[in-house]
Amino acid sequence: MASNKKYWTSAAELKNSSIVEKLSKTEFVTEIPTEDFLGDKEALETSSTSRRDFLKYVGFTTAAVSLAACEGPVIKTIPYLNKPNDIIPGVADYYATAIADGFDFANVLVKVREGRPIKINPNKEATSNNGTNARVQASVLSLYDNNRLKGALNNKKAINYTDFDKEVVSVLDQVNTNGKKIVFLTGTMASPSIDKLLVEFKAKYPTTEHVIYDAVSESGAVDAFETVYGTRALPNYDFSKADVIVSVGADFLGDWQGGGYEKGYAANRVPKHGKMSKHIQFETNMSLTGANADKRFALKPSEQKFALLNLYNAITGQGLTSKTTPQDAAIKDAATQLKAANGKAVVVTGIQDKNAQLIAMAINDALQSQAVDLVNTKNIRQGNDAKVAQLITDMNAGTVGAIIINQANPVYTLANSKEFVAGLKKVKLTLAFATTPTETTKEVQLVNATPHYLESWGDVSITKGTYSLMQPTINKLFDTRQFQEALLSWTGNTTSYYNYLKNTWNVEILKGQSWNNALHNGTFNTVSEESTRTPNTVDLTAVASALAKTKNNALELAVYTKVGLGDGQQANNPWLQELPDPITRTSWDNYLLISRADAESWDENLKNWTVDNGALNGDLVDVTVDGITIKNVPVYIQPGQAKGTVALALGYGRTEGVQKEMMTGVNAYPLVNKVGANVTITKVAGEHEFACVQLQHTMMGRDEIVNETSLADFIHKPKQAWNPSPKFSLDHQEVDVAETDLWEKFDDTIGTHFNLSIDLATCTGCAACVIACHTENNVPVVGKKEIRVSRDMHWLRIDRYYTSEMTKERGEEEGIVGSGKYFEAQTHPEDHPEVSFQPVMCQHCSHAPCETVCPVAATSHGRQGQNQMAYNRCVGTRYCANNCPYRVRRFNWFQYAQNSEFNFNMNNDLGRMVLNPDVVVRSRGVMEKCSMCIQMTQATILQAKKEGRPVKTGEFETACTNACSTGAMRFGDVNNHDEKVAKLQEDDRTFKLLEFVGTQPNVLYQLKVRNS
Amino acid sequence: MSHYESPIRETLILGDKSYLDVSNDIAAPIEGKANRLWWIVFTIALVAFLWGLGAIIYTIGTGIGVWGLNNKINWAWDITNFVWWVGIGHAGTLISAVLLLFRQKWRMGINRSAEAMTIFAVVQAGLFPIIHMGRVWNAPWVLPIPNQFGSLWTNFNSPLLWDVFAISTYLSVSLVFWWTGLLPDFAMIRDRATKPFQKKIYGLLSFGWSGRAKDWQRFEEVSLVLAGLATPLVLSVHTIVSFDFATSVIPGWHSTVYPPYFVAGAVFSGFAMVQTLLIVMRKVSNLEAYITRDHIENMNKVILVTGGIVATAYLSEFFVGWYSGSSYEDFTYLSIGAATGPYWWAFWALILCNSVFPQLLWIKKLRRSFIFSFFMSIIINIGMWFERFDIIVINLSRGHLPSTWTQFSPTFVDISIYLGTIGFFFVLFLLYARTFPVVAQAEVKSILKSSGSQYKKEVAKQEDREYRAQGSN
Repeated sequence: MASNKKYWTSAAELKNSSIVEKLSKTEFVTEIPTEDFLGDKEALETSSTSRRDFLKYVGFTTAAVSLAACEGPVIKTIPYLNKPNDIIPGVADYYATAIADGFDFANVLVKVREGRPIKINPNKEATSNNGTNARVQASVLSLYDNNRLKGALNNKKAINYTDFDKEVVSVLDQVNTNGKKIVFLTGTMASPSIDKLLVEFKAKYPTTEHVIYDAVSESGAVDAFETVYGTRALPNYDFSKADVIVSVGADFLGDWQGGGYEKGYAANRVPKHGKMSKHIQFETNMSLTGANADKRFALKPSEQKFALLNLYNAITGQGLTSKTTPQDAAIKDAATQLKAANGKAVVVTGIQDKNAQLIAMAINDALQSQAVDLVNTKNIRQGNDAKVAQLITDMNAGTVGAIIINQANPVYTLANSKEFVAGLKKVKLTLAFATTPTETTKEVQLVNATPHYLESWGDVSITKGTYSLMQPTINKLFDTRQFQEALLSWTGNTTSYYNYLKNTWNVEILKGQSWNNALHNGTFNTVSEESTRTPNTVDLTAVASALAKTKNNALELAVYTKVGLGDGQQANNPWLQELPDPITRTSWDNYLLISRADAESWDENLKNWTVDNGALNGDLVDVTVDGITIKNVPVYIQPGQAKGTVALALGYGRTEGVQKEMMTGVNAYPLVNKVGANVTITKVAGEHEFACVQLQHTMMGRDEIVNETSLADFIHKPKQAWNPSPKFSLDHQEVDVAETDLWEKFDDTIGTHFNLSIDLATCTGCAACVIACHTENNVPVVGKKEIRVSRDMHWLRIDRYYTSEMTKERGEEEGIVGSGKYFEAQTHPEDHPEVSFQPVMCQHCSHAPCETVCPVAATSHGRQGQNQMAYNRCVGTRYCANNCPYRVRRFNWFQYAQNSEFNFNMNNDLGRMVLNPDVVVRSRGVMEKCSMCIQMTQATILQAKKEGRPVKTGEFETACTNACSTGAMRFGDVNNHDEKVAKLQEDDRTFKLLEFVGTQPNVLYQLKVRNS
Repeated sequence: MSHYESPIRETLILGDKSYLDVSNDIAAPIEGKANRLWWIVFTIALVAFLWGLGAIIYTIGTGIGVWGLNNKINWAWDITNFVWWVGIGHAGTLISAVLLLFRQKWRMGINRSAEAMTIFAVVQAGLFPIIHMGRVWNAPWVLPIPNQFGSLWTNFNSPLLWDVFAISTYLSVSLVFWWTGLLPDFAMIRDRATKPFQKKIYGLLSFGWSGRAKDWQRFEEVSLVLAGLATPLVLSVHTIVSFDFATSVIPGWHSTVYPPYFVAGAVFSGFAMVQTLLIVMRKVSNLEAYITRDHIENMNKVILVTGGIVATAYLSEFFVGWYSGSSYEDFTYLSIGAATGPYWWAFWALILCNSVFPQLLWIKKLRRSFIFSFFMSIIINIGMWFERFDIIVINLSRGHLPSTWTQFSPTFVDISIYLGTIGFFFVLFLLYARTFPVVAQAEVKSILKSSGSQYKKEVAKQEDREYRAQGSN
């Protein structure tokens, strides 16, 4: 059908078609004067530029432009005009300082190269907290966090500190006159100089109050100590003095009461004269501590309280009110052993309940435990939950005029965060100090950007009588100001904080001793005047009856912190995100831990499964506790989890100041106070993709991989019974593996010959070495997706094995050995397994299978015993990795540095500042692996050479041995017979991994002895 | 060679062909125009090839990470495809060299194409060790050539380096041998060519063959010498490829049975591929008279024998692993662990395709059926691909330390590159079928009159009847 409709393309066409018509005829709106130009034939002819010339010019300019474009960028190296005295290019400086971020406290030694801090080492000369955990090791990268606050903010707009202070002081004065409260809400700082500053501040503003808040609170323990001894502190423990250790829910090798106990614990874990400590753990979820225990019993959070009471009753013979638990027999047994230890025994608990802590203290008192130090108490957890709760009430009531937050992120970490935010709206002055944007800085008016601890002055008193100094190791990277400087400014004190600190120390701490010395050492100790504390009497009957009232719920909640993220402060640190959890071996996530029995008994059978490429997937659930719901939490079936419990890690689900890749997991803080409460879980649609690096959890009958023995066997049986060396048939005679050799051995007794030794008895699996290695060797971060498909780049991994119920004996009993059913059963861990950790890095085999197969000889043997990798020779056939029985070689599947697909620290200028200049950043397509920190050993040799002396015993170190708090890892030259590692070679407990393959590794393991 | 016609010898060439007929038949595809079928298949192959090329460029530009590999399974489809193609490339030399030495004249109908297949397959095979390198631009470092790096040299201990020599030797010897055989045939085409350009090209290709008695005498001698040289290669190439695995320390790889077993497997898969190609080709290029049912049966017999060797090797691998009682052998590619583990499907694909289905060839009727042989050859090709996949992936996925166990799954790039090489192979083969004399006509003419013509006619009649009765299979 024909249509007579007329269509127009614009209103102009409809109304005034003449313009459109005119425009459609001419191509250009204004006339181009081509005619004027070309029409003038005369002018054209007289022009000296011919067509040829024109072409010449075009040709020349094109060539010139392309030539100019060919020049590569020049990256200039500029020498110092005036070389700073203490900086020698290529030589590292070390500064003693301390980290005190409210969660982690440690004395550290910072390695600085050309003015850049690049590595955190433990300050081994300090007497307390001289170990570094994974987070402390990784904290150097947080200095170079691209998301850091770069200046002060007022209502999210930049402001300079002069105006900032004017604003603050004027409001403070106002608040002070109105008589409203000025509240400092801070994390535990334990800083003598800040305490003094706050006193001075209070003198100026009398309504000031200081509320200390720990995100992961130990308030129960602190309150209990206060009740008994009148001081807010925590008792200190020396586990090396305990022959029997009983822990009820205390992860003391993890973050319990600020951590730092692994060294003392490890001291007594190697049998000496037939004796070693016995460690019994009662806990809910499998913690690092539980994994190391000789005996581990799973209990619900509510049952743990009864367990403590029962333990008390069994030890003292009293009859405090309690209830039965499924592990009462084990508790009785533990009580007997504790009593028998004669004061060399200790009981610790991690239950966040004052009453429970009081019982634990009473038990230690009854045991007359020598391991508890009540005098030199710990200061690193001072939070007071009651005061925090009061503060929120006050804020909402409108009695708070100003709130100043430092070293805390309450909007993220408070369970009742919403009430807090509502309260903030009623406070006139809201101010937060922060290094990076946080959930809290988003809600306050003023934000003071604080420097990282590596850019700051400061002090901390970790335990009573020990003091540590914090000193800057680099100039402030951004326009930041310390909390202390702000306090000085607000109180009208014009001295610099450095002078103030020095003065405070000289007057109050050093008392005549050298400041420079203290600064050099990083620590200073005073002798305590007191030697005992007198306890107040506590009515334990009342305590017990309160405790025994705890309800036993069907499915109870537990929360915990992981070795990686801890309380979540460093959530934007890719090293920590990528660090596989020692227990679950899963990175980039938190998840709901649930026991197999519970997962299967659930209405809708919760599952974990592997997909085609081997990666782990899991079901998703909504978790509801007391009306609070956390949505879409992945489920991880955890062996060792107490039946009837679930557990969720804190520190994940950050949303502010964290780049997209690092926004992982769910925030469990809303449930932080709900431990033991009843949990409802509902399965929801969808599945979760885990980034798990270990997909097979049992040893599949290959028990010699992580050799173990019991204390009884170790004492009474010959070595051959519990640590047999593999035998081979040579000319029809059984000979030791060391005697069979395909090749002629070259003489390795000349010069240095490195060996690395790992004691599995004292290795707790804490993973500090993994981060230390990551930092030292510029190991790239590859992200969740790559980790998921087994492309993790860690040079050092810590394998974790569970025992399986299907042993060979049982298989024989059932007559299924060798069948598919048998193998299938072997892959399943026991519900309450024994756990073994095994750090595995390149074993530096003397007969390395990787070396023979490389077509271009890119990997070959070093004269000092290492297996070396020449990156620039590598063509990337990956044959070496296939032929490595230990699977320690790591391939650069992509370009990991300066590639926006891998947007981690190596992809920005700031993040790259952490790179170790002594270690090359590997490019795409090459293989890499542990080098035994050859850059460190060579530096040690060079140093000795320069000083004209032999290398001292114990001078050789690698990043992992340096980071190992328990001394489980030892490194050295076995040709120096004084070296510890040379002696360990001959130790009866020593074995080599997969020795029967004939690779002759230069890494030794000492087997674990279980005191079971 | 005499033209004595034996009254009882079975004929090798069907139909009462004259010498001219042979020339005409062989030259027909070159002188004629390609039919539609050729164009369709060629287009598909070309598209697959270009797609694969794109995938290779993407890999080189981005990183090996675009494949499904990981730090535990560092090889998968790449080396599987490499070994598979090398294996396929085995039949050619065997047919032309070993059968020549054994004076098996039936080989003359098929040796040209079998050798062409060898060369094209080796080209595909050679591609994989190169592109699987992380830094392919440094690939020349695997060659022992003097360099500016001082004393830096290749590692002669590495089986991968042996591969470099084995493959390049095999490729060059095969190429020379093939070309020598082609000389009189190129000359024949040259002599028939009418277009000057064509004449010029074939003149060049035939190296000025004049057809004198001296030429023929030298031709015969060179063929014999080259056959002598090539025969050890039949054994050496796959022996060396098997060393990639056999000399390692990985459970399932570390196995002394590998060299003979790999050679048998290669012949097995090579003959299967020859079957696949020739059964189609004899129809498409009208070569029914030259590639006969007897050829198919003969090759099926070779397949049966080599398949038997391979099956025995499987059994021995399975038994030895099991008998060792070592828990490290519980999950190798031929073990109960593999049969019941996550790769059970790959395990059973291998057993069924390579050891169970080929047993049907014991039945004479099936052995002489073109259609059945065609399908069987496809099954064997699949089975042999799985054999290499199992050896590599299953063994690597279950290493010494259970903590390192994982799985592999291919990405679209893995699949694209594999399909790309199949495309490339067919592009080459189809071009060859249109431009090269696909049957060694000079040799074939020598056996044209060696059987009783009476007998020949009878057979021709019977063939004709069969042909009519069976229709067009």
